Amino acid sequence: MVIRTYNEEQQYLEKISSCAWKIKKGFVPNMKVEGVFYANDALEKLMFDELKNSCHSQGFGGFLPGMKQIANVAALPGIIGKSVGLPDVHAGYGFAIGNMAAFDMGDPKAIVSPGGVGFDINCGVRLLRTNLSEKDVSPVKEQLAQSLFDHIPVGVGSKGVIPMTAKDLEEALEMGMDWSLREGYAWAEDKEHCEEYGRMLQADPAKVSMRAKKRGLPQLGTLGAGNHYVEIQVVDEIYNKFAANKMGIEHKGQVCVMIHSGSRGLGHQVATDALVAMEKAMKRDKIEVNDRQLACAHIRSQEGQDYLKGMAGAANYAWVNRTSMTFLTRQAFAKMFHSTPDDLDMHVIYDVSHNIAKVEEHFVEGKQRTLLLHRKGSTRAFPPHHPLIPVDYQLTGQPVLIGGTMGTCSYILTGTERGMQETFGSTCHGAGRALSRAKSRRNLDYTDVLGALSEMGILMLILIKF
Amino acid sequence: MMEHEFKYAVIGGGIAGVTCVEQLSALCPDDKILLITASSVVKAITNISKVTSILEDFCVVEKPSVYISENCPNVTVKQTRVTNLQAQKHKIITDEDEYEYGKLCVCMGGTPNIISKNCSYVLGIRDTESVQEFQKRIANAQRIMIIGNGGIATELVYEVEDCEVIWAIKDKSISKSFIDAGAAEFLLPQLSQDKQSSTGSAPTKRRKYTIDGNKFRDIGHGTGTALGPDWSEGLLLKGLDKISHNVKIEYNVEVEAVMEKDEYRITLTDAEQDALSVWPVYVKLTNGTVYGCDFVVSATGVTPNTETLLKNNKFEVAEDGGLKVNDKMQTNILDVYAAGDICSAFWNPSPTWFQMRLWSQARQMGSYAAKSMVSHTRNQDILMDFCFEMFAHVTRFFNYKVVLLGRYNAQGLSTNYELLLRVTKGKEYVKVVLKGGQMQGAILIGETDLEETFENLILNKMDLSRYGEDLLDPNIDIEDYFD
Repeated sequence: MVIRTYNEEQQYLEKISSCAWKIKKGFVPNMKVEGVFYANDALEKLMFDELKNSCHSQGFGGFLPGMKQIANVAALPGIIGKSVGLPDVHAGYGFAIGNMAAFDMGDPKAIVSPGGVGFDINCGVRLLRTNLSEKDVSPVKEQLAQSLFDHIPVGVGSKGVIPMTAKDLEEALEMGMDWSLREGYAWAEDKEHCEEYGRMLQADPAKVSMRAKKRGLPQLGTLGAGNHYVEIQVVDEIYNKFAANKMGIEHKGQVCVMIHSGSRGLGHQVATDALVAMEKAMKRDKIEVNDRQLACAHIRSQEGQDYLKGMAGAANYAWVNRTSMTFLTRQAFAKMFHSTPDDLDMHVIYDVSHNIAKVEEHFVEGKQRTLLLHRKGSTRAFPPHHPLIPVDYQLTGQPVLIGGTMGTCSYILTGTERGMQETFGSTCHGAGRALSRAKSRRNLDYTDVLGALSEMGILMLILIKF
Repeated sequence: MMEHEFKYAVIGGGIAGVTCVEQLSALCPDDKILLITASSVVKAITNISKVTSILEDFCVVEKPSVYISENCPNVTVKQTRVTNLQAQKHKIITDEDEYEYGKLCVCMGGTPNIISKNCSYVLGIRDTESVQEFQKRIANAQRIMIIGNGGIATELVYEVEDCEVIWAIKDKSISKSFIDAGAAEFLLPQLSQDKQSSTGSAPTKRRKYTIDGNKFRDIGHGTGTALGPDWSEGLLLKGLDKISHNVKIEYNVEVEAVMEKDEYRITLTDAEQDALSVWPVYVKLTNGTVYGCDFVVSATGVTPNTETLLKNNKFEVAEDGGLKVNDKMQTNILDVYAAGDICSAFWNPSPTWFQMRLWSQARQMGSYAAKSMVSHTRNQDILMDFCFEMFAHVTRFFNYKVVLLGRYNAQGLSTNYELLLRVTKGKEYVKVVLKGGQMQGAILIGETDLEETFENLILNKMDLSRYGEDLLDPNIDIEDYFD
């Protein structure tokens, strides 16, 4: 890898609009297409700071800056269009998070890469509405939160609402939300408002390893830690009344529930298994990449197909998870307000995936093509009249759910035709995500600790120097 | 089947026993199940909050034994003491009766090791009954001594207020079995802080329970059920004086002698006797220091309760005194399984798991033992529960959340490993153990939000060498990176 100065790097970067930058070929070796990233002034600064810091530390392995990752993806075989960095793009394993890349299924060299989907396969967001208002919920906020905690998550083996066995897991992997529907945990209309109708048909439980299933079983129906959440939200502002009404959102102060979760341990294992298998096959198939973490396989190869089938299984699992949590949320609310979920109008507005690979039809330079789209930390955003979106959203476009982090708002957007053209119908996934998070700079202080530890007689101690 | 014949039987109403019974009941709603417990209360785990796939934060409720029968109609609970086991005949003999079983799981836990068995001023604190006793005595105490360096001693030292505490430990650093010296150093300042009042009113992600005020029927010493994670919640652990924390720690000491007042006085000269401040009991430590105090707490671990079982049966026993069990929780005796503190895991464990006598493991073992018993009855194959893949425990020390994953102290790794460390005084302590580039374990103290990420990294067995020390760079959103 060539080491350049920051100034030299900048020669490859060109601002093409008020909020978009082009990454020219040559920024990294072997780029087949150009890169592009979308950023406003604040985000632009962060992107460039990240690049600058990386130049100063002379580009050691470790964490590559987002821009470089976008460019490395542009060097993958079979990529078509551009390697796109959405506004919240930041460093990730292999692909940056917020990186969309499409590959031409008609090209035998085109690849699929688990790093382009992410470890938490089908991490996504679901939004439920209610007909409650803030004033109904405010006085009982704490009890409601407690009620949610009591219902979610549910552990295996406990006297929980949703008992799960290994057999249930197999079926869930294969059937996705159809399993939930069959078992009575979902309403039929929930499927309508979910990408892929909550089930990817190419899923094959046989392609999900035993270890992945073992990791998945205890987590089925559970929430997870970290950035996953079930959040009670209140509508703050309505910018488009027509679209909002189509989603069942009538007024400010209306209460909704947002569920942000994925496939967790199971997804992690499916991705890990595939990365290992693909790394082995790359030599055989003579695939070269700029970064080892971009391990990939030809889409039509055994490894590629196995991964896609396993990934679909993990995706189904994640939908079952979100559906289970939907069920439990409905129960919690119903109990709290002495009503039924139906009377509370707790419908699913929509469910989006932001860590997934999908086969989609898109127009490239006027011609219709079948593409394999990797969306990692990126949400599908189809425009009005697209055949894959539900009937009731045909006029508005697909709802796009952007979850916030603690202390920031979440947003509901709708897909546009322009998005379809520029990014193959993809957008960002998180609000308030920036490179240096709101976590304040920590004051590191370990002199006493060091002393104590060295007494332990540890052979090697590596410290962070900040 | 008649009233004295049961398909499945479990002895022990603690966490392992109750989890086992509830799991059995869920798996076999039509079979008759017997639970024998010497204590009048049983531990019921009714709400589990999954922090990550393996880490669980759960609460323990102490309820009268009838609770189990109410919720599991096919379970019969007998509050009685087992006097003998005739395993070949599949017979359990108790104080009052005899029972026959198809398969049995023994979850009789352990008895506290008390440093001085005969002294009435030395209190063991391991089970519910001893906690009640402790609570009574602390109300009139100005100074107590706590011997022991495990989880209970650590929690107790922090929880006690308005009383001077001398904490005597045999190690160089506190809470040695849980955390390393570095983390100990991190936690120590909390002991000089005022204890924060508990956040009782905020919604909790797990249900909180307190010990029921019911009277216990005393069947004899050492038969109470072990403490669960919230044992001190709601208890008034205040002494006489009006000071928040006053803890003095004596390192690298053991107890040489425990003497009651008169016993000690005799050993002194007249002058010394006159100068002596009077306490009911005196403890001489191996470093020569003598402390007087109102009473002594011995929190020095447990010995598995195998005496009754070993009377007539040739169980294989491990070095630590526990019954050896294989990877199906079976002892060497046909149809007898064991779970919780009473057993010793004797299979070849996953590289990132090891046994520790904790309630989290008691629960996991109780659940898995039940599944194992049922699968054997039905002639089915069973795979080991995934919780035995990686050690995981979450607890609170000194008001900090403490998460322990895998080989968090590089246990069993001898040499040839690396540590990554990130500390912010008063906020968080993050330590990662790496071997061959793979994460083997981690200690997380404070609200780090890293537990799920690290659990995944350990289980994924990912090669992290390319990140080096940058792995813990606070500017990198590492949970996101591996998402």
